[in-house]
Amino acid sequence: MKLNGKVALVTGGRGGIGRAVVKRLMKEGAAVYAADLTENGSLPTHDNDGSHFVQLDVSSEEGAMSVMSGISNEHGKLDILVNAAGIEIEKTIEQTTLEEWNQSFAVNVTGTFLTSKHSLPLLRKAAASGTTASIINFGSYDGFIADPGLAAYCATKGAVHALTRAMACDHGPEGIRVNAICPGYIDTPMLQSFFEGEGSGGDGGDIDSLQQAVRDVHPMRTYGTPEDIANLVNWLASDEARYASGQLWVLDGGLSAQVQQMRL
Amino acid sequence: MRLSGKKAIVTGGTQGIGRGIVEAFIIEGASVTTCGRSTAPADLPEQCLYHQLDVSDPIAVNAFSDTFRQIDILVNNAGVQVEKTVTQSTDDDWDLVMGANARGVFNMCRSFIPKTSDGGSIINIGSISGNVADPAMALYNASKSFVHGLTRSIAVDHGPHIRCNAICPGWIETGMLEAGFATANDPQSAMNDALARHPVRRFGKPTDIAAAAVWLASDEASFATGQLFTIDGGMTASSPLNPALF
Repeated sequence: MKLNGKVALVTGGRGGIGRAVVKRLMKEGAAVYAADLTENGSLPTHDNDGSHFVQLDVSSEEGAMSVMSGISNEHGKLDILVNAAGIEIEKTIEQTTLEEWNQSFAVNVTGTFLTSKHSLPLLRKAAASGTTASIINFGSYDGFIADPGLAAYCATKGAVHALTRAMACDHGPEGIRVNAICPGYIDTPMLQSFFEGEGSGGDGGDIDSLQQAVRDVHPMRTYGTPEDIANLVNWLASDEARYASGQLWVLDGGLSAQVQQMRL
Repeated sequence: MRLSGKKAIVTGGTQGIGRGIVEAFIIEGASVTTCGRSTAPADLPEQCLYHQLDVSDPIAVNAFSDTFRQIDILVNNAGVQVEKTVTQSTDDDWDLVMGANARGVFNMCRSFIPKTSDGGSIINIGSISGNVADPAMALYNASKSFVHGLTRSIAVDHGPHIRCNAICPGWIETGMLEAGFATANDPQSAMNDALARHPVRRFGKPTDIAAAAVWLASDEASFATGQLFTIDGGMTASSPLNPALF
């Protein structure tokens, strides 16, 4: 789906999924801003992908306003906002400190709120050109079904799902569509960290056999890749999806379609 | 072209959503066969093959599948609706609605799954009415819930070779929708009320559903399976309270 002439902002744009999203939107012809805490994001290095890097802590309101002001000066509009920044604390509620809980909500929920709130004037300008503007939030399959030892993460993703519907309801009449993608297991640094973490329910033994067991429980017998997620971001961002709004798009290789429980 | 070289079957492609999907698939390079209970409509695109078929008849569906060696995409779109509550519904209504909407989808899947290529995609047309009830549409609502359950079962049982998803359309501008408004006491105010319940402030078009079908049929969606994808302009994301109250 071509995105020529469209302007996009991807938060967490240097993370596992964010990088693939940035790359795809650029390939389709959009001008893309990749926002992240550092140029490398959650990975050790970064190849220059041609995106416009902007340093942003999504939990900072000044930061969000400053990024929007920059986009406004350069393009005067924003067509696509992808709220992909997120963190995962691998703990039960008993182990989670108040600081970790607040930090999870600050990034995953408040970050989505702040970036969306301050992008609205620019999204309205894009919508005024006759197409629709599109916000794509990142929920999770964990917003529906809990993984062990991810209590704060699961709660933040449930909040993102409800916020997605609320934003779709309020801003649809202005030509702004709002959807959330709910990934299942996607091969990213966050997933690898989950496998290695004590809270994963793993026995601390062989990570390879643990990973294979997780693959095998999927009807598609594999994890997703960041590119699988980018494919759906591209579609939801495009004018083809102009009637899609207020929905939670689960992309999990069939994992949550089955009753069967994970035996990690 | 996202579906070039792929062979697709779309049931009920003579009008409405099914026709939209047939036309979109042809544009994307697929070779398309459709079917319906009547004879071929005169305005069917000439590239589209047509087969007269009642999907509720398992013997006829099996005979139809015997004429194919392999397919890549199956869209189970054919469906009927009867506007009645449970107590109003007759045995004939049951046979008609469940025959086409439930047994028809089952018949097609049972006959065509063995013919579907590795990496193939089955797309069932469910409905928002399979998740939330439309009044006086008891058998229709129930038949669409059947479609949703069957969709998950096929994804679980026949992955990783075949993907199976459902699209759940909301209110789409087809003959069915206009006929519904025509029966209202005040058709114009009924339509305004319905529009106010849609965050995008319009009804859907068959092309909106066809766009989702193309994506799900394409290799871009190779990790999407077992899901119900609602395309309804945001209607069911909003509370069903009457907008006039606000």
